[in-house]
Amino acid sequence: MKKLRQFFENGWEKLRQSHRKFQEKIWFPFEKKVGLRWLKDKLRQIPNKIKHAIYGILFISPWLIGLGVLGVPLLVRSIRMALSDKYYFITGQGWRIIGEWYHFTQFKRIFSDEPWHLEQILATLQDIALVIPLVVVFALILAMMLNQKIKGRAIFRTIFFIPVILLSGNMVSNFQSGGLLTVPAILSGQISGVMTEFFPEVFSEVILLAFGKIVLILWLSGVQILIFLAGLQKLDPALYEAAEIDGASMWEMFWKITLPALMPLMYINIIYTTVIYANLSNNPLNVIINVTSDEWGSLGGTLTDEVNYGRAYSAALSWVLFAIELVVIGGYSLIVKLASKRYE
Amino acid sequence: MTSRQIMIKKKLIGRKGNDGLLFKLVLYVLLIGISFIFLYPLLSMLSMSFMSLEDLIDSSIAWIPRTLTGENYAIGFNQLNFVMALWTSIKIAFLPTLASLVSSALIGYGLAKYHFPGKRIVLGLMLVLFLVPTVLTYIPTTVMYQSLTIFGIPLNLMGSLRAFIIPAMAGFGIRQTVFILIFYQFFRIIPQELFEAAEVDGSGVIRTFLSIAIPLAMPAFLICGLFAFVWYWNETSLARAYFGNNYTSLLMGLEGYINTYRSLYSQGQLTMESASSIYNLGVQYAMTLMSIIPLLIIYLVVQKGFVAGIDKSGIAGQ
Repeated sequence: MKKLRQFFENGWEKLRQSHRKFQEKIWFPFEKKVGLRWLKDKLRQIPNKIKHAIYGILFISPWLIGLGVLGVPLLVRSIRMALSDKYYFITGQGWRIIGEWYHFTQFKRIFSDEPWHLEQILATLQDIALVIPLVVVFALILAMMLNQKIKGRAIFRTIFFIPVILLSGNMVSNFQSGGLLTVPAILSGQISGVMTEFFPEVFSEVILLAFGKIVLILWLSGVQILIFLAGLQKLDPALYEAAEIDGASMWEMFWKITLPALMPLMYINIIYTTVIYANLSNNPLNVIINVTSDEWGSLGGTLTDEVNYGRAYSAALSWVLFAIELVVIGGYSLIVKLASKRYE
Repeated sequence: MTSRQIMIKKKLIGRKGNDGLLFKLVLYVLLIGISFIFLYPLLSMLSMSFMSLEDLIDSSIAWIPRTLTGENYAIGFNQLNFVMALWTSIKIAFLPTLASLVSSALIGYGLAKYHFPGKRIVLGLMLVLFLVPTVLTYIPTTVMYQSLTIFGIPLNLMGSLRAFIIPAMAGFGIRQTVFILIFYQFFRIIPQELFEAAEVDGSGVIRTFLSIAIPLAMPAFLICGLFAFVWYWNETSLARAYFGNNYTSLLMGLEGYINTYRSLYSQGQLTMESASSIYNLGVQYAMTLMSIIPLLIIYLVVQKGFVAGIDKSGIAGQ
């Protein structure tokens, strides 16, 4: 092992020497002759600000290329689908978009001409807005629990990885039919009995909804737990020791050390949870959208456009779902931001 | 309070609040309870995968099989073509994971470290593209992949692993925006002084990135790698659309099996002895477990990297 290392080190040294020789004998004179030296000096004079901007753009250039080749065309196409009068498949010609975009046909249908789905839109907004904070808070608590010094931590952490595996791809459809992702009916009945006895009706309804979803929420929080757990790894134990010496309680340490450090990850988890939940769940909007989509959950399939409200209508509804996601993410991000300002 | 009472209180609640008996008790009860919820589907699959056909049909047997049989696993092994499918799964999951880790780290670093005009627009567009419901993008994506060119060079994505790898290289892989954001946040909390110190010592842009930023973002690599691996491993509908029949991973094999099972069931052919010995829930669950267990093993090994406070920032007072 040692010999191998020495061999590589020797080789490296030799390489460096020959490189230096090459630079002195060939490269520098060549540089001077061609005028590269002049160019280099000029480059060195570029202010740092511009240089940094160039470096930044170079680092993200893979994404910029992807944006041009994939992102923008996809975005334009998805918008065009929703702004069309009709969207369908013709054998031999592929997918066709019919109608001018400025007619806004489908959006007019949704919001004024045939406003039959406004109720579902509101119900979906309520559903998503209720679940997201619960998932994020549960994930935060569970991540902190898994970060404690406990016996069998590796086993617990592995068990908490199961939702990450079972809730991705088509795996979830294997289990959803078995009712594994909801609270058993008997249990929820008992909870509702207790709830209505002790709490005012409006209040208990919200809590009941939360209890009914508690198992679902646990299943949904697998990825978020790990994201928080990774964030907790960055916290220096010395920080807690110092706080302890200063007489801080666990509660204070949580608010002053743990939470501020996890704040950036909070935004990521809010975004992630919203997107996954909006796409995964059978919320009232997705139920309507899914009528025109195939088994893969895409607006395609063999159904004719006349079935239900049509594919273009579903596309427009999907954009309404997008708006709901945006509202939920924006709202909660604002709350988190304001709350974290209070503790600064 | 007498000293005895204080002692009891200390024992129950602890000195700091997280080392008392009461705290530990609540912690373990919660962890074990939630673990049970997560383990439940796996445990029920495990017990059913060891049942013989008679036990499966017998409704009086819920959990413990009368006779333990490994036959379901033998059938599942053959049905999946396990060794081949395992290798395919590893290929399908590993290469795109690698590609998306590299590109996400680069993009996240560019966004975190440097300021350039339009950065907010970039972040905003990233978010918008992530929020677009998948229902909308599915068909346009497959249509575009059939004839995608970059600078005039055709990429021939369909039918090859490139359909996963190349978008991942550009930051457009499965849910990759999350990875980019995670890297962005991890690079952002590295103290600026560290970078400045390195640059004063003559470290170039790439050198700073490789030897300072990357080691400090190890937890980000860990979780993003895990997520990417699981997500590509489990992806079946996109894989089927892009690869056709060129690749059959474990999960694609399982899905094919389930589809055949369902169609046989609806045709009423499962009453035949030969069909029902191959197509039954026991075999299905055995196959499901066989395709999940590699992921759990990988996680059990990798999770050792989650050790509190692996790194010190190296700057006093930070």
